[in-house]
Amino acid sequence: MARIRTSRLAAVALAAAAVGAAPAAYAEDIVVGVATAQTGGLAPYDQPALAGLRMAIDEINAKGGLGGKYPVDLIIKDTRSDTAQTATVAQELVDAGAKIMISPCDADPSISIGQITQPLGIPTITLCGTAPVLTTAVGDVMFGSYPGDNAQATVVADFAIAEGKKTAFLLVSPDSTYTANLPEYFGTVFEKKGGKVVGRASFTMGQPDFSAVVTNIKNLPEQPDVIMTAAYEPDFPAFIQQLRAAGVTTPVYGADALSTPTIRGLGPLVDGVVYTAAGYAEPGSTLDAFNKAFEKAAGHAPESIYEANGYEIGLVLDEAVKIAGSDDPAAIRDAIAGLEDFQGVTGKITYAGTTGMPLRPVVLMRYENGGTPVYVKTETPAAADVPAP
Amino acid sequence: MAEAASGSAASSAPSAPRLSRGVLGAGADALAMALAVVAVAVLAELFAGAAFQRVVTHAAIMLTAVLALQIFSGNTGIVSFGHAAFMGLGAYVTGILTMPASLQATALKQLPAFLGGYELPFLGAVAVVIVLGVVVGLVTGTPLLRLGGSSASIATLALLIIIYTVLVAGREITRGSQPFYGVPRDVGLWTAVPVALVAIVVARLFRETPIGLSARAAANEERGAAAVGVDRRAAWLASWVLSAVVAMVAGALLASFLGAFSPKDFYFDLTFTLLAMLIVGGMGSSFGALAGVVVTMVIIEVSRRLEGGGTVLGVEVPTLFGLTQGALALAMLAIIWRRPEGLAGGVELDLLRRARRPLPRPAAEVPPHADVAPIVVMGLSKRYAGVVAVDDVTLVFEPDRTIGIIGPNGAGKTTLINMIAGDVGPTTGTVDVGQPTGVRSAAYVFARSGVARTFQNIRIFPRMTVLENVLVAARQVAPSLVAAEAAAVRELKRMGLDHLADRPATSLPYGLRRRLEVARALALNPRFLLLDEPAAGMNPVETGELIAILSAVRAERRIGVILIEHDMRLVMNLCERIVVVDHGRVIADGTPAEVRRNPDVVAAYLGSRTGARTMAASDASAEQSKGDQTDG
Repeated sequence: MARIRTSRLAAVALAAAAVGAAPAAYAEDIVVGVATAQTGGLAPYDQPALAGLRMAIDEINAKGGLGGKYPVDLIIKDTRSDTAQTATVAQELVDAGAKIMISPCDADPSISIGQITQPLGIPTITLCGTAPVLTTAVGDVMFGSYPGDNAQATVVADFAIAEGKKTAFLLVSPDSTYTANLPEYFGTVFEKKGGKVVGRASFTMGQPDFSAVVTNIKNLPEQPDVIMTAAYEPDFPAFIQQLRAAGVTTPVYGADALSTPTIRGLGPLVDGVVYTAAGYAEPGSTLDAFNKAFEKAAGHAPESIYEANGYEIGLVLDEAVKIAGSDDPAAIRDAIAGLEDFQGVTGKITYAGTTGMPLRPVVLMRYENGGTPVYVKTETPAAADVPAP
Repeated sequence: MAEAASGSAASSAPSAPRLSRGVLGAGADALAMALAVVAVAVLAELFAGAAFQRVVTHAAIMLTAVLALQIFSGNTGIVSFGHAAFMGLGAYVTGILTMPASLQATALKQLPAFLGGYELPFLGAVAVVIVLGVVVGLVTGTPLLRLGGSSASIATLALLIIIYTVLVAGREITRGSQPFYGVPRDVGLWTAVPVALVAIVVARLFRETPIGLSARAAANEERGAAAVGVDRRAAWLASWVLSAVVAMVAGALLASFLGAFSPKDFYFDLTFTLLAMLIVGGMGSSFGALAGVVVTMVIIEVSRRLEGGGTVLGVEVPTLFGLTQGALALAMLAIIWRRPEGLAGGVELDLLRRARRPLPRPAAEVPPHADVAPIVVMGLSKRYAGVVAVDDVTLVFEPDRTIGIIGPNGAGKTTLINMIAGDVGPTTGTVDVGQPTGVRSAAYVFARSGVARTFQNIRIFPRMTVLENVLVAARQVAPSLVAAEAAAVRELKRMGLDHLADRPATSLPYGLRRRLEVARALALNPRFLLLDEPAAGMNPVETGELIAILSAVRAERRIGVILIEHDMRLVMNLCERIVVVDHGRVIADGTPAEVRRNPDVVAAYLGSRTGARTMAASDASAEQSKGDQTDG
């Protein structure tokens, strides 16, 4: 077995201390390899999602394992937020017998892992990556779990059309996939449904001076009905302050990065800002119940919606193994790809007919009355409306 | 890189070696390091699984990258922050050239047509990367190396940010900040390891080549290097270009190893990883680069296996993610604390030198100079912000004579010598050393055209060996390294330093450093030798020995010597002609006897009591061959 030979070499070439530190799996266990950032810049995103996943796996194992038959052996390895290290760790997890792989929230390391798991047919799910290209770059074993950027943008665009907006201005930043593409997806859907993009401006992330952008917007011959951006902290607060200070009252729409205490704290400045979330914990809802259960199990309330998202990955795997009726990776992959209207914690999840990024409800929220988040509605975008990555 | 011994003075002997001692030694070292790397790779191939083979492959790629950094930083002393960016360029070029056309159509929709559809094999892409590396190295290095030291370092940091920004902004070609994917994953153990072996050989040999020697000399002591004919900028630019090429090849390997990457993978994190590895091992040598990569990778692999928790040798280890970072940080601290020069201490393996190989045979004595043009100085002036150091001096220095320049402190003697050596440009006037010195007249041009010098405060290359010190100079005039080495040995023998040839120059006592500096100057086979206070700081015995050797060399080779000295007895005994300078002007010029009786000279020296005593003493010594010794 490859792993034993690795250990022997490690003993020869490295140090005796390196031998056999990986936990051993029982024969009937199904190994789920988790390559996540325990340290480094990605850790704050990976860890909450992983906490949710662990909670789900603990509950599933208490009931006999995935599909009630296959107890899960969760092997977690640190990628140190480094792409090369991620690929190495993924190979180690494959060698350890992983039949399901969980990849970090970021696209590069997830694609790197996918390139290892795709030829082996091992289903791979990213913890909270939202770049739609993530799944198509790899192939049919790669799945997302969080609503993709294009899905979020579709819901926001649908809402803008429903609100009667006719013209939109896009504020993008090429510095990240999220800030570069999400507004463009919005523009695509918005124009397809009869709206018109009347202008674009670009900003540099972490650069607090928006005066050129604001002047650009102010000097438009006709003010747009809505400004769409995926900017987040610290850029979004700087932008909205300077925009409102210049006397521009056009509503600003954004995405799921705007639900932070800092942005809430801007008070009346952000009133009217529409943003998205992966779930809304209405009292009595399943999400609310999850949050309470999580707090009981973990000792602290969920930091974000990512815990619920990670928990749902566990539920999806459980359901897929149940449908597949085996622990064969190819059967599990097919089962995930065929899921339709699967009831998760935040709503119904559909993989059937997608390229791997799930169709699932996106919640729309709006700040009102001095920065108070108000629930607007929950919508699942139609597969045909979501623009291709 | 092999130096043929054609047309050298040494090649007259039938058994003349084909390779210089330094290059042979480098070859032996490179072979040893390469064998060690191959041994690890073979063990990984035979006994380890796919995961550990990936670890070794990644280590080989990092080794290539760290060696690239060492080629520049190790030989020039300039820490570069820009090499991660070169890796990025190499990665993107490889990605675009190797990507299947079908994938390009979806992943890079806006790719300009002339860049698309090559589908090169990996090695084909590497060939393109090498050519581009030369271009990129020249374009970036030419402006960057106008700077030196820490300014150049900061400029490399700017370069990193510029290249990163270009990669992010070039969305049509690079997909911007989004992941670039679909690069065929062709790099395994047996692609990465051979490339790393080539990098080892290149890095180890480079420091022994004429360019490598020159680059190190200029990093050790810039003015000293210029004085022996080293063109600092050319040597450093060559190091930079070579280093950029190797870094871009490492980037090409990484691209094909990862398959997916984005510009942030080639930014600060990678920069600091490379630097940390090089600092741990020691920047000064290729062995240091190897040691740094090996030690860092071992620490990572061991602590990474421990941090997941489990049972190790019967001991329960708790899960402790972050242990890897902690262990790396502690290792860095320990290195900086205990071994600031790195694990290898900045030295190479030097297997052959440790085996005490004998020095090559000295070259034949050079024929005496004949029909040498004089150095003509016309209306030379130098002003420093209102202070006139040298004021309208016109002189002719005949060859084959010993000419002394004396004068009170601050008279402008050293400034005059600096201008004759090309070290300082005159404010007005011209220096004609009998050979064209070109438009870009600089100290190194003067040195190559036969004007050698020593400095008042010795400027040898402390971190190079005694032999290397002289070799740098000898190679500027010799046709090959082998010939230069033989010439260097000849000069060391003459100065009585040959038994110390492999010692670092910094270990020499003061008197021997002076001799080394003279040996270095003589290795240029100069027509004129400028000596700035050669006896300063030496005792009478050392001074006597030095003067005896200098007189002998001067007579044999018919070299013109121009000498600044405060030791009047020495000047009066040695010089055939004496020029007296005061307040930047020549106040007397003639034989020692004439100068001694010149009333202006006496007046100038009466300005200080020592001066008066000096003149009296020299007077007495010349007539009675004994008298008080003064320091001037």
